[in-house]
Amino acid sequence: MPLRRERRCLRLPLAASTVAAGFPSPADDYIDVGIDLNEALIRHPSSTFFLRVSGDSMIEAGIQHGDLLVVDRSLEPRPGLIVVAVLDGAFTLKRLVRHHGRLRLEAANSAYPPLELHQCGDVQIWGVAIHVIHALTRHG
Amino acid sequence: MADVLALIDANNFYASCEQAFEPALIGRPVVVLSNNDGCVVSRSSEARQLGIGMGKPYFQIAGQLASHGVVVRSSNYALYGDMSQRLMSSLEPFVAELEIYSIDEAFARLPRPRHGDLSSWAAELRSRIRHNLGLPIAIGLASSKVLAKLANRIAKGDRRHAGVFDLGREANPDPWLELTPVEEIWGVGRQLGRWCRLRGIANARQLRDMASGELRAKAGVVGLRLQLELQGVSCLPLEQGPSAKRETCVSRSFSRAITSETELRQAVATYVVRAAEKLRRQQQCSGRLTVFARTSPFSPGFYSQAASTALAVASNDTAALLQAALPLVALIYRPHKRFAKAGVLLQELQSQDQLQHHLLAPLPEPEQQRRAALMQSIDGLNRRYGRGTVQWAACGLAPGWMMRREQLSRAATTRLNDLPTAWAR
Repeated sequence: MPLRRERRCLRLPLAASTVAAGFPSPADDYIDVGIDLNEALIRHPSSTFFLRVSGDSMIEAGIQHGDLLVVDRSLEPRPGLIVVAVLDGAFTLKRLVRHHGRLRLEAANSAYPPLELHQCGDVQIWGVAIHVIHALTRHG
Repeated sequence: MADVLALIDANNFYASCEQAFEPALIGRPVVVLSNNDGCVVSRSSEARQLGIGMGKPYFQIAGQLASHGVVVRSSNYALYGDMSQRLMSSLEPFVAELEIYSIDEAFARLPRPRHGDLSSWAAELRSRIRHNLGLPIAIGLASSKVLAKLANRIAKGDRRHAGVFDLGREANPDPWLELTPVEEIWGVGRQLGRWCRLRGIANARQLRDMASGELRAKAGVVGLRLQLELQGVSCLPLEQGPSAKRETCVSRSFSRAITSETELRQAVATYVVRAAEKLRRQQQCSGRLTVFARTSPFSPGFYSQAASTALAVASNDTAALLQAALPLVALIYRPHKRFAKAGVLLQELQSQDQLQHHLLAPLPEPEQQRRAALMQSIDGLNRRYGRGTVQWAACGLAPGWMMRREQLSRAATTRLNDLPTAWAR
């Protein structure tokens, strides 16, 4: 079992010049190593996981059905953050909100009622959603 | 103050990984089966409490498991391997040195604070790993590796210790050593254990205090080191950093016995494909290849055979390795033998970089680059869409001998198509 962490990333060369045919561009020496989306989006790689969104209850927060959700489990859930909660044995996406001094889980879609935390039996906040990746084309 | 050695490991690692990504399993009894769905290799604490034994063959207890509503899973190595890496890299900032000892345990060295008490350090580490990864861990602390391992066993054995036991803080370690049967000491094999019992040495305290001359005569320097470690003198250094691998092996038991040469060839081809993938990931090439196969050691007429060949030029090209491996199958195959297991061993591994521009290269350089690009695309497709998306014809299609993993969970952390669902409802 290999125990070394394998780093895989897509390197997109970032060149700072337009194409000049005929002679080598003086900017060639300044070509950077590229943008690593993992590095840019993920601060804590060992505690960050990806989940797939199903449903439309978070639509007003810009999270749509089929989106890729980036979740960091090491962050403390604070009011205002979108969190993955374990509700009835399933990962459920909600916004943690303080309402009249009490914490509750709200959807971002008026069709879904809020859940008062003190009324639910056993709710565990599994992680904090830090990014959502939404494909704009079918193959995105 | 002197350094402390810690043995940190995950409790019921495989079962805990299953529970971490399937919240419906939290609080429920879960068992994980070994390769081929053979026997129980991991039990959640709930399954333990039901009295389900470790190592029990699945077919014997399937009824018992079903009647208790126990969730059964096949080993999901993609998930466990990824979680293991996450666990190890999460431990690193907490210690001065880390030796990854197995998929779910690590030795560590850290300085003991002036006041001597590491309980808040241990509590913080345990809650961090539980919070960030969903994994429960146990920590044993002592002044040597052997004692740290022993302390870890005590930490796990008794709920009152809450997963942490620091033997270095005990004024008198003897009662704890007496609690540890001699066979349970790290480094005591079956043979040494039996030898000890015959001499009336039943526990760690007795082994620590026995005449060292006698132990030396039996177990040599290794035995003396073990005794010193039990006395709290650290003799076994931490081994750091995975050393470059010298060989890599892929072998599996078949779900049913294989008797035809075609099937044996397909199995060997499948393992060559896997091994070549591993090599390319490690950026290594192999200079020697061995193929082996055996029948079951529990049935009469046991047969085991291996054949080996050197490669003209070290390679990690699947086609080149298949070309070397498949003729060996004819050498080890025997008709009417019921093969239960086969494997491929790649040896004389060297770094890929050392090989470029080789004078004896069998292919011109542009051709070599085309081959390397082809291998890369195949690996990429298989990673992205799942193993076996692009297959080598030599492996056969949908073979019947493939390892049984009927209750496999998803590769929840490593494959885009297998991600857990976050319900927005």
